Amino acid sequence: MSTVRVLFVLLGAVAVGSALLVVTTRQIVHAALWLVVTLGALAGCFLLLTAEFVAWVQVLIYVGAVVVLLLFALMLTRAPTRPDPAARTPNAWFAAVVAAAVAGVLVTTLVAGFSGAVIDLDRAEIGGARVTGGAVFSTWVLPFEVLSVLLLAALVGAIVLSRRDVPNRPRDAEAARDTEPARDADDRERSSS
Amino acid sequence: MAELPGKGLVHGLKVTFDNLTRRSITQQYPDVKPDLPPRTRGVIALFEENCTVCMLCARECPSWCIYIDSHKETAQPSEPGARERSHNVLDRFAIDYSLCMYCGICVEVCPFDALFWSPEFEYATTDIADLTHEKDTLREWMWTVPAPPAVDDGAEPPKELGVAEKAAARVRPRSEEDARSGPEAGA
Amino acid sequence: MADVLELLLRVGCVFVAFLVLPLLVGQTEHKVMAHMQGRLGPMYAGGFHGWAQLVADGVKFAQKEDIVPANADRRVFQLAPVLALIPYLVALVAIPLAPGLVGAELETGLFFVLAVMGIGVLGSLMGGWASANKYSLLGAFRSAGQLLAYELPFVLAAASVAMAAGTLSLTGIVEAWQPWWLLWQLPGMLVFFVAGLAELHRPPFDMPVADAEIIFGPYTEYTGIRFALFLLAEYAGIVVLAALTTVLFLGGWHGPFSDALGWLWTLLKAFAVAFVVIWVRVAYPRLRSDQLQRLGWQVLVPLALVQLALTGVVSVVIS
Repeated sequence: MSTVRVLFVLLGAVAVGSALLVVTTRQIVHAALWLVVTLGALAGCFLLLTAEFVAWVQVLIYVGAVVVLLLFALMLTRAPTRPDPAARTPNAWFAAVVAAAVAGVLVTTLVAGFSGAVIDLDRAEIGGARVTGGAVFSTWVLPFEVLSVLLLAALVGAIVLSRRDVPNRPRDAEAARDTEPARDADDRERSSS
Repeated sequence: MAELPGKGLVHGLKVTFDNLTRRSITQQYPDVKPDLPPRTRGVIALFEENCTVCMLCARECPSWCIYIDSHKETAQPSEPGARERSHNVLDRFAIDYSLCMYCGICVEVCPFDALFWSPEFEYATTDIADLTHEKDTLREWMWTVPAPPAVDDGAEPPKELGVAEKAAARVRPRSEEDARSGPEAGA
Repeated sequence: MADVLELLLRVGCVFVAFLVLPLLVGQTEHKVMAHMQGRLGPMYAGGFHGWAQLVADGVKFAQKEDIVPANADRRVFQLAPVLALIPYLVALVAIPLAPGLVGAELETGLFFVLAVMGIGVLGSLMGGWASANKYSLLGAFRSAGQLLAYELPFVLAAASVAMAAGTLSLTGIVEAWQPWWLLWQLPGMLVFFVAGLAELHRPPFDMPVADAEIIFGPYTEYTGIRFALFLLAEYAGIVVLAALTTVLFLGGWHGPFSDALGWLWTLLKAFAVAFVVIWVRVAYPRLRSDQLQRLGWQVLVPLALVQLALTGVVSVVIS
């Protein structure tokens, strides 16, 4: 077993182990921090597979931005620094079954699709920006565009949700309905007196 | 209104940079003694020889921080048949600087020029009781009292000077026959 | 064997630079800030104009008791300063001083440095949350909000230079650099510098540690050596930001006699940038949180996008 292989197995073990900790820890902020470890180990795996560019983008986007956003959101909750008894749910077993099923599907798909693929590390091209860009914008351009549209839809959705001057939003209509009977009652009272 | 955008930002940078090129005004105090202005009120010094224990300073002191003890001594008559003269002898003169508020009223009221302002200020202590300074310390501080600042050109000379000169003129002819003259005459 | 020795030597040099340069910047800040305010700054430690002030500070910090608040999340609390400091050390490895004079030559050096700098903020977030102190938590909030607003223009401005040079390698960017890029990439440089200041929580973007409002933000509960590590991280951050601005926008080792004195040029330019960092701190008051967000989203992001478009158009026209 070569050094690279040992390192890869180690990093994989770290990634899986910390991923398990993410879902089992009783402290919700710890979950986000274990996620950092998972994502970092994953970046290490990418590095070992010569995908240098992808590895650094993984760190930049996921650790630098997504986890920070996650932590930001978690701190807005009342996340205590002690183990939180409320962080346990009776649905845990069901969730575990679903997770295992999803993992099974993914692993089967990956093994079926790539089981024969082997990267020769000695001769493989280092996955810098040029190679990655070439692959994304030629072979994988359709999934890339689909993802872009998905992100755009999410962006538009976020803007619509946060704007206050969009008329006919369901919440506004509800609020209007809530106040209307009161006003009617007021009017009736005034007219009767 | 038609200012260039960012003009204020550049101006802010300019102000700080100009400050950087100017000499700083920090006083290197313990290494370099400060250049204090004339009539600085640092501490009150006692010119013990001038004190007659008239108690005016102690009575006028608003914070009651001056302590004076004295006793009377009777001097033998200088000429046969003359009356005995008694005078006060100062035993203790202390100022409690933990009470003193540096108003300077004692210096003002002293009719015999026994109290002076000194610019000395380095007498901080770690114990409040040590701030009561006795007459020997107060006398030592007398050496730090600077000469009065010179009057302006063309101004009339200070009254004290004229009085002292007149007194000196009165004493000089007498001094041959009377070697011993009172300390008041010399002031 | 020779390879290993060379690697050790390079890493050792980077480590020494990592220990010395932040102290140099810190001392410069003491002195420059003092004189800009009409003061002298430290004058005693070490004898000559207080040159050893920061060494004395370090000794003092090391002697202090290491306190962890009773309600704090111990492990996270203790880990946070280390996580704040290490990324800057790692980032310094990839920044070249002169051709060949670099800790580790990376093909995607720019992305490496940006990615690693992004991790540094996790330290203050962790510290802020784990302290179990409301001021620390508020500071961590502000820190995260600021990072989210400024990370985007930071990366976009850096991407503009990478596009212009056609490479992500920091050495490659400097080699492709030409003097007229100063004008071409000027908006990008301003955006990069301002967003970098905000990432480091340097005044006028020091809202996360605003001492008049929230004591010292995420670092409120820290004492002794861990507090010193946070401070060191700030100054190491200045060094990395200054060096990165130099390499990306100011042409690194380009200058007269650059064959022999290239490394000196890089250092000089980096110190000039560090001086500006200090200068800006003295000149401007702290931004409020709404001003901060407005500057980030309404000025810097559009400016960075315009720069990106400009770079693209000009690159296509040239080629």
